[in-house]
Amino acid sequence: MDIILVQLITGIAYGMLYFMIAAGLTIILGVMNVVNLSHGALFMLGSYLAFTFINNGINFWFALLLSAISVGIFGIILEKVLIKRVYGKVLEQVLLTFGLMLVIADSVKWIWGTEMQTIPAPAMLDMSIPIGDMAFPVFRLFVVFVGCLLAVLLWYLEAKTRIGAIIRAGVDDRAMVGSLGINVGAVFTGVFIFGAALAGLSGVLGGPLLGMYTGMDSEILVTSLIVVVIGGLGSWKGSFIGALIIGVLEIFGKVWFPSLSMLIVFLIMMVILIIRPQGLFGREVA
Amino acid sequence: MKKNILYAVLLLLVVFAVPQILSDFGTNLTTEIFIMAMFAMSLGLIMGYAGLDSLGHAAFFGIGAYSVALIGKFVTNTYLIIIIAVAIAGLIAFITGAVFIRTSKFYFLMITLAFSQLIFTLLWQMKDLTGGADGMSVSAIMNLGFGDIFDPQTMYYVMGIIFVAVFILLRLFVESPAGKITKGVMENEGRMAALGYDVRVYKLLAFTLSGALAGFAGSLYSFYNVFVSPELSAWLFSGQVMIMVIVGGVGTLLGPAIGAGVFIFLQNFISTYTERWPLILGAILIFLVLIGKGGIIQWLKLGVTMIFKSRPKNNKVSSTIQPEKEEIIS
Repeated sequence: MDIILVQLITGIAYGMLYFMIAAGLTIILGVMNVVNLSHGALFMLGSYLAFTFINNGINFWFALLLSAISVGIFGIILEKVLIKRVYGKVLEQVLLTFGLMLVIADSVKWIWGTEMQTIPAPAMLDMSIPIGDMAFPVFRLFVVFVGCLLAVLLWYLEAKTRIGAIIRAGVDDRAMVGSLGINVGAVFTGVFIFGAALAGLSGVLGGPLLGMYTGMDSEILVTSLIVVVIGGLGSWKGSFIGALIIGVLEIFGKVWFPSLSMLIVFLIMMVILIIRPQGLFGREVA
Repeated sequence: MKKNILYAVLLLLVVFAVPQILSDFGTNLTTEIFIMAMFAMSLGLIMGYAGLDSLGHAAFFGIGAYSVALIGKFVTNTYLIIIIAVAIAGLIAFITGAVFIRTSKFYFLMITLAFSQLIFTLLWQMKDLTGGADGMSVSAIMNLGFGDIFDPQTMYYVMGIIFVAVFILLRLFVESPAGKITKGVMENEGRMAALGYDVRVYKLLAFTLSGALAGFAGSLYSFYNVFVSPELSAWLFSGQVMIMVIVGGVGTLLGPAIGAGVFIFLQNFISTYTERWPLILGAILIFLVLIGKGGIIQWLKLGVTMIFKSRPKNNKVSSTIQPEKEEIIS
């Protein structure tokens, strides 16, 4: 029983991490209609930046903040210089963000090497609590906490603030929002920065949980894309549910059917799509 | 029809001219280009004629390649091996396609990507069957009825001729009523539905054909490379073949083939000088998007029209190219 509980909480922790990444991806997708294939690479960049900060004696929390801000700033440059040129052109987006992903991932490989690295959990959380007769790392509980915090923040922003109203309206009808005198370009830049910073942040939190290695960018990208597909395009609530499903399934799958975990995740996605082609929380859009 | 014969003759001339001009290494590389060209054309078929932008086409390539590697252990007849491999790839394309095509454009991109990664993971994890990360060597030897094909020279001609045949067959499909309806569905789904066509059937037909062709290219690759690894199905490879198609020119058949040629050539050329091929490829892609003038085929057309009609008709030229990009936008 204890072991199942431990696996469940671990699954939720992984799910919350996926949620943090997928939230950025899905908001960018919903508001800007951009499939950002470089999102996983931004996650990776966040991880490695924090790794360097921490190795230079900066403490974990400050490194977390610095990495998120750095990746966010990097996001501004990406959006202003490159991505704004391909709004509305799907194939160009794929080409551009695929290129960006290759450039970022290969640069990371160049700078930090191909060795597997990991970020130590901060001293404050670097301990375990007993669950039954098992030891459970507190850091995972912290990830769950941050994930829930993000969900609350997103709910507040969406439901209670003007920014949220603009973004909701933007998902529905972008042209109308623009003609109401709102600077859509600025909203897009803001959303992209938010998404990028979130990717950077989750990269740092993912460091102690997943480790850092070559190819982690595309792995995390695929997982978060599946989460977005299950949850429904542009819906962070959908991503929340989707991420939980995937996280828990993945952990249970890895323990009980090690060679088929990915297949199970994929089959679940197929079933959901057969029943609801637009995803759990997605709306019918052309 | 005349045009097809003309194309066939011209392409065969190219196939027979290459070994005279290039070194053995270049010829061998061209063999790989023929295979990749077939793969790129299979994706070009659904992207350019059915509006299905798949980011997971390597799944079918890998399925074809591994089918040959696995079946080749028990069956020796090359034709039979290839037919089974193509049938498996086609069947999987049919089943998955039936679900995939129900979704919208962004979804299609993401789902196909995930599918590609699924096949990759399965090939990686089913160690007993596929050798896992180490890949597996292919024991089957190609024999088309005139002896085992070992030497690169013969392999080259075989692949070259198959490539030309596939190209002509694809042209025939595109020009057939079914092909035209498929294109009509891409251009205006609502109208074709209103005309009484079952649009899903045609999309699925194109997707299945394309998956089978990708599997065919994969099976040939297996014979050519005598070694297969899970990377053949990784989504990075899917991304690369999509690059071949876009760089070559979406909406044409020859474009993806040319794109494959340029890609494979650059990859080999740059890799001999530096390890940083992904970085350079990424930079090239970003640059291509920034100058944004369609694919190589469009540049060629633009160049030809500029040379032959050097009056201010250039505007018109670009406007004939533009609609294709316009479709992409919508």
